[in-house]
Amino acid sequence: MPDWELEIRKHLAGLNLRPERQAEIIEELSDHLQQRYEELGAQGAGQKEAFQEVLAEIEWRDFVPELQASVRTPERGLVAEGATPSGHLFSDFAKDLHFALRMLRKSPGFTAVAVLTLALGIGANTAVFTVVDSLVLNPLPVEKISGLATVNTTQLKKTAQSGDLQAISYPNLKDIREQTRAFRSLAGHSYPMAVTMTDKDEPHRIFAEIVTANYFDTLGIHPFLGRFFLPDEDRTPGAAPVAVLGYAAWQSRFGGVSDILGKTIKLNETPFTIIGVGPKGFKGVYAVFGPDLWIPSMMAAQVLPAEQRNALTARGLPLFTGIGRLQPRVTLAQAQAEMKIAGAALEKEDPGANEGKILTVTPLLEAAYGPERQPVVLGGILLMAIVAFVLLIACSNVANLLLARASVRRQEIAVRISLGAGRMRLIRQLLTESVLLGLFSGILGFLFGYGGCRILESLRPAEYAENLADLRLNASVFVFAFAVAILTGLIFGIVPALRTSRVSVSEVLKEEARSRGRSRGRVALANMLLAGQVAVSLVLLVVAGLFLRSIEREYAIDPGFQTEHLALFMLYPGQAGYDRVRTEQFYKQVLDRVGRVPGISSVSWASNLPLWGRKETGIAIEGQETRKKSDAISAVIDTVDLNYFSTMGISLLEGRDFTQNDRDVSTPVAIINETMAAKYWPNQDALGKRFQLPQGREFLEIVGVVTTTNYQTLGEPPQACAYIPLRQHYTDSMILYARSERDPSTVLEAVPAEIHSLDPGLAVEDIRTGSKVMDQALWWSKMGVGLLGAFGMLALGLASVGLYGIMAYSVNQRRREIGVRMALGAGPGSVSLLVLRQGMTVVASGAGVGMALSLLLGRVLSRFLYGVSGSDPIGLGGASFALLAVAFVACYLPARSASRVDPLVALREA
Amino acid sequence: MGTKVEEAWKKGSAELLILSLLEDQPRHGYEIGKLIEVRSGGTLHFHVASLYPLLYRLEKRGWIEGRWVEKANQRRRRYYRLTAKGQRVLELQRKKWQEFAGAVGRIAGVQHA
Repeated sequence: MPDWELEIRKHLAGLNLRPERQAEIIEELSDHLQQRYEELGAQGAGQKEAFQEVLAEIEWRDFVPELQASVRTPERGLVAEGATPSGHLFSDFAKDLHFALRMLRKSPGFTAVAVLTLALGIGANTAVFTVVDSLVLNPLPVEKISGLATVNTTQLKKTAQSGDLQAISYPNLKDIREQTRAFRSLAGHSYPMAVTMTDKDEPHRIFAEIVTANYFDTLGIHPFLGRFFLPDEDRTPGAAPVAVLGYAAWQSRFGGVSDILGKTIKLNETPFTIIGVGPKGFKGVYAVFGPDLWIPSMMAAQVLPAEQRNALTARGLPLFTGIGRLQPRVTLAQAQAEMKIAGAALEKEDPGANEGKILTVTPLLEAAYGPERQPVVLGGILLMAIVAFVLLIACSNVANLLLARASVRRQEIAVRISLGAGRMRLIRQLLTESVLLGLFSGILGFLFGYGGCRILESLRPAEYAENLADLRLNASVFVFAFAVAILTGLIFGIVPALRTSRVSVSEVLKEEARSRGRSRGRVALANMLLAGQVAVSLVLLVVAGLFLRSIEREYAIDPGFQTEHLALFMLYPGQAGYDRVRTEQFYKQVLDRVGRVPGISSVSWASNLPLWGRKETGIAIEGQETRKKSDAISAVIDTVDLNYFSTMGISLLEGRDFTQNDRDVSTPVAIINETMAAKYWPNQDALGKRFQLPQGREFLEIVGVVTTTNYQTLGEPPQACAYIPLRQHYTDSMILYARSERDPSTVLEAVPAEIHSLDPGLAVEDIRTGSKVMDQALWWSKMGVGLLGAFGMLALGLASVGLYGIMAYSVNQRRREIGVRMALGAGPGSVSLLVLRQGMTVVASGAGVGMALSLLLGRVLSRFLYGVSGSDPIGLGGASFALLAVAFVACYLPARSASRVDPLVALREA
Repeated sequence: MGTKVEEAWKKGSAELLILSLLEDQPRHGYEIGKLIEVRSGGTLHFHVASLYPLLYRLEKRGWIEGRWVEKANQRRRRYYRLTAKGQRVLELQRKKWQEFAGAVGRIAGVQHA
């Protein structure tokens, strides 16, 4: 057999085939030639003759190029229509991914800044929208919140407070329930009330809501564990001591133990059996503050303070808010019309308790906040607008970075096109890069958002944190912000690339490094984006500055009482089972003991917390004709003990303070503030005049007049206030006020110790200092300013990074020009100035626009500001100064590096 | 054979010829070359240097599939069979060729079988 292999091998040599492939080809061709050889032999040819014939037949010159073509990539153009082209999607994708990762790693500065910028934008949006969503749009985890409405009473007569929703008495609620048809079911619930829970031996202050048995059904929620109340458990007063625990309270106070059902706890000395645990996330129908547990309405007397024990029978004692689910196809207006009739019937039946009041139906979504809703909604909108701007800045920043990068990459892309890279392939690669950038930002942004939510949650006042609504991270917003980020990457990463891939390769290559990417249009776009960022940052800073000035003023408000040396302790002796005699004795003992604690200069009791004044309507003044209930006199009523005014630092203007002699058996007395005196006894001496409290039976004689203070909010307009002596008006829970000589925190431990030495079974949990009271009163404002400030700084930071990036890039692009200038004699100073001027021109134009916008916005905001105008020069000036200072630094650094350009090096580079 | 025009015709029809021959049964390269020569009455002839590169190209496109087969008393040989994809391409090419040949025939006045 002739050696075909040698012959074939000769012709395969230049092909660089894989050895095994080459062997196969040799084997196959050898076989072919051998067959032809054998055939020729069979036809009678001699061995040598046949061999030569076979070799002669082969046209080797076709062979190598043909084979080369066949082993290379298949010619796609030859693929017949209808046949699927042989794609390599996966391996191409893996290559793109690999390449994109390599490109991102190659410029870590760009990648880090872009990812961080986008992530901050995404994170801020996610966190803020989550808060707004959980607080405003979707505050309660109940079934179909749109079908739920609350029923309250309001005053008929229009006054400043007449719109306030007030509770309904139990008998009224019962009548409404029987007489109306608008609601499929109507339940009632009280406001969360402080009760003392004793579990083992430790007393704790917790919040309980008294609800009717159908409360949970009406809301359409289901227990996490056990069951809710049965109708039978809410029929006979005092018969069924059962309680439903809130999920959060079960977790925090009972460690989430599984055998919680059937456990007995003591609430104000009455043992209750836990029969169920509420659903996760449900904390009652008040959006910002909820109870730890619920008890049936028939157990009201067991947990209410002494003076409210008749709540189930007294029509004049409002305790419940009605909450109902509307019948299908019944509108809110229809329900309201029906309530009007029911209200009129109630007024007719018992004018004493119901005169001048109307029943009001409010959608639960609105009622969930009460009067707080407006600021919460407005604050939410403001914050959302701000973070949207932050995202805008982040996106424009990244857009600028990508534009700058695209011009640098024009060359790279041109080279790749000239080496045979397809346009589609190139675009796909850039797409992969952009999406990857967005993906990283998204992941980091999610973490920021999550962290942001946790931080916001941790800012809630600690003593109520368990009762406040939980934040649920909002997925749709995250997706939205994420999509915006990716889109930014796509638009600003792909569009320039597309343009590049369309231009003639040789053009771009000819451009060379010298004129790299100095397209005027692109610079103009970048400058516009920058100026926009500066403008938006300035607006945000101004808003933050204005609110900061406003809160500064609020802190400077004099509430009319001293807060520096004040410590407060809430005590509920009635909840520990004390009777009246024992409670009164306890009050005296505490004053005696605490008064002797070193560092305490004076102590007293009062029923009201500072700035939580309780207002009562229906005061009657002796000698003035009886007013209609509808324009009754109202005043803040505070029950206080001896030395209250000296403890609080309130000055006595006329008459005397309460004394030991103002007792049960002596003449009933009162002290009023100067506002009340001036309003109801104008131009006369109020001392010795008499008035009657709404629920009182006897007239009180005014023995003193004191200065007016703030009773409900800081900086409120003056309100009438009457103080009545504790010793003539018994109440079983009071607040101990202690005035310390120095920092009140020094006595915060000594006082509870004294109280526990009197009775270890008493809960002393609500302890706060006077300055904390102020902090809490300003909590919303502070929170708002904090967030505004944080986002303002974030915006400024992002804008500065953008400014710096663009300036540094532009200096780098202009190295040759700068080199020429310096070679021609320009000093480093004038070069720095040149660059600075270029940057600061952009900043100044942005700042101008921002200032104009701020002045416009300031007008809108001025109604939310306290004591500061919307065009406050300090707020505006401070914000502008901060912005210009930061912008200057961002421009100065590149300017300095420009002045250090070595002309020789720069010119040689070019 | 030998002129440029004939080369081009041959090239254009070669794919169709090979696919058609593999339609009924798998065949090895020599057999394919021989059949083309015999069935065309010697008009068409593929020598080794053009046949095999063509086979490899068709295989790479996934229209045909080659496999080594060992039979008794014989060296192992590479047999090619038509794939499903190749079958579809064959049908398409047949149709196109018919249309083409018909069109040429109508214009050039050649009677076509």
